[in-house]
Amino acid sequence: MTALGLHDVHKSFGITPIIRGVSLEIGKGERHAIIGPNGAGKSTLFHLISGRFPLSEGHISLNGEDITGLKPYQINRRGLSRSFQVTNIFPKMTVFENVRCGVLWHLGYRYSFWHNTRKLKDANDRAMAVLQQIGLGDRAMLPASFLTYAEQRALEIGITIAGGAEVVMLDEPTAGMSRSETAHFVSLIRKVTEGRTLIMVEHDMGVVFDLADRISVLVYGQIIACDTPTNIRNSKAVQEAYLGQAMEAEH
Amino acid sequence: MSDTTLAATRGNPALDLLRRYGIWVIALVVMLVLPKIFTSGAALTTMCLMGIMIVFSLAYNMLLGQTGMLSFGHAVYYGLGGFLAVHAMNVIAAGKLPIPLPVVPLVGGLMGLTFGFIFGAVSTRRAGTVFAMISLGLGELIASLSLILRGFFGGEEGITANRTKMLTLWGVRFGPQIEVYYLIASWCFVCMIAMYAFTRTPLGRMCNAVRDNPERAEFVGYSTQMVRFITFCISGFFAGIAGGLAAINFELMNAVNISGAQSGSVLLMAYIGGIGHFMGPVLGAVLVVLLQVFLSDITGAWMLYFGLIFIMMVMFAPGGMAGLIMLHLPLWQRGTLLQVVPAYGVMLVPALMGVAGAVALIETAHHQLVKTATEGPAMTLFGIAYTSNSMLPWIVALVLIGGGLWLGRLWGPRMAGAYSDAAHGKDLGKEVSK
Repeated sequence: MTALGLHDVHKSFGITPIIRGVSLEIGKGERHAIIGPNGAGKSTLFHLISGRFPLSEGHISLNGEDITGLKPYQINRRGLSRSFQVTNIFPKMTVFENVRCGVLWHLGYRYSFWHNTRKLKDANDRAMAVLQQIGLGDRAMLPASFLTYAEQRALEIGITIAGGAEVVMLDEPTAGMSRSETAHFVSLIRKVTEGRTLIMVEHDMGVVFDLADRISVLVYGQIIACDTPTNIRNSKAVQEAYLGQAMEAEH
Repeated sequence: MSDTTLAATRGNPALDLLRRYGIWVIALVVMLVLPKIFTSGAALTTMCLMGIMIVFSLAYNMLLGQTGMLSFGHAVYYGLGGFLAVHAMNVIAAGKLPIPLPVVPLVGGLMGLTFGFIFGAVSTRRAGTVFAMISLGLGELIASLSLILRGFFGGEEGITANRTKMLTLWGVRFGPQIEVYYLIASWCFVCMIAMYAFTRTPLGRMCNAVRDNPERAEFVGYSTQMVRFITFCISGFFAGIAGGLAAINFELMNAVNISGAQSGSVLLMAYIGGIGHFMGPVLGAVLVVLLQVFLSDITGAWMLYFGLIFIMMVMFAPGGMAGLIMLHLPLWQRGTLLQVVPAYGVMLVPALMGVAGAVALIETAHHQLVKTATEGPAMTLFGIAYTSNSMLPWIVALVLIGGGLWLGRLWGPRMAGAYSDAAHGKDLGKEVSK
């Protein structure tokens, strides 16, 4: 069963093609990593899938339904949620409220102005549970801007998964983290995406080979390989195009 | 404002109840008692105006403070609500319809809601500068329409009504101003609670989310446009109620009520009071009405003072009056508030010097430029008689301003230091014992 399908997706900015025909099928429950050199179009691909940018050509389906051309909030309501490469939270609101913002729509409160949020036990419990899960339970009442960088990254993921989306997309979740923080974060990601489809862009090859069931290698807007971590590691084409340099940079 | 959901689960329930509802009880008592203390007709009129403006500025702040939408034309909904209320009063009186006066503000509210719906559908498609520009355009459009459509708006003179010609309930005819005061106070109290409750609802919380980070709000399932639109409609509703109350209070609506000046004035109220806190616009409405009423009695240059206060607020206290109060709340909680009093007291000297100098400068200039031609240069200020065309008063005024600024510069850091010591807990005793 396919969770997310990309069918011959193209994207150009002006006359510059960035994504040049990407087709990809990601199964339900799969952990899929997208890797590639800088400027390959990984983040652009994320923006296309999540509805932030419109496609130039092709179409995208979520759980078999066409989501091409839908707005970000419409795509989110259908069960796809994403995080951002640059921390993208509600800085003036409390940590607790940040997560609760991610919950409200999906529990059916929508644009309600007749419920008192204080009394929304399901939403408050769910938000608190997510906070415990991401290890920010004791930070709940702080303004989000008071958190450390790593905590803000965790909050970013908390907001993303809070609504219970089946498909979770994480854009460089461990960027800018220390090694020990990264190790902790990988187990966190594994925990919170249990039973969901995960699609992530990541530069840290350790994280990628640790987490992913399958890996796609994106180079100049095209997928040159899509396979299991072992096969990707051994692929000559990938070595040449990208992985060789990336693995060297790791050492 | 921080959410208190989790705080509510711990602590003494009675104390919690007091903390949650205490402020409303105080507000209610103050509103009930005020007319017993200030009994003069002028005071009563002023308080009625305050009640109306509290509702209007709170409605406005639903947009500016809570959703981050800067509107330059919110008087449209206030004014249209007021005009429809005036017409409703006339229709009710003429047809002897069984509708009592206290219901009339609701007519204004529905008018505000209707036009909020129509204009909001257009203007809330975009946020930021585009929204501000559309609101300005719509505001000017309706303001100029009010001078063209004489049937509905009554031209320059406006439309009058008689509030005592309604259905009388329990012998209350709303002839005397005190009865109107209690009518306005009741509506004001109910609207305040309703608008506060709004901030606690899912939509109210998402307004803050859309204000802080519209992009992220879209990625948690919310259409920022829809959040803005619904909030705009609700804000229009409350602005319309304020207009309806104004119609009852003045028994008159004219083009001024729907003009850009009125839109600007509500922006000033919200901003001076503090857009970052729910109670800010309440403080702003009270202060601005006081200034409008009393300053305009004292000096012909009152608009200039008003503008200067606004500029000073924007420059030195962008959080408004509520922001200044919130800045001192942690000190109150730590019990160190008294610690800053001496440092603040010292700062009163340059502050008073600066204000006295500025007042002298403005009043002397105002006299020289406006009144000398008809009344001659002789004038009195602070009980001192002098002539506005001599050099000395100008020099004194400038010296006062200069001295105030200089001393303020000199002593300012010490006041800031006293504040941060009190706020971040450098113990004064320890400092001495070292």
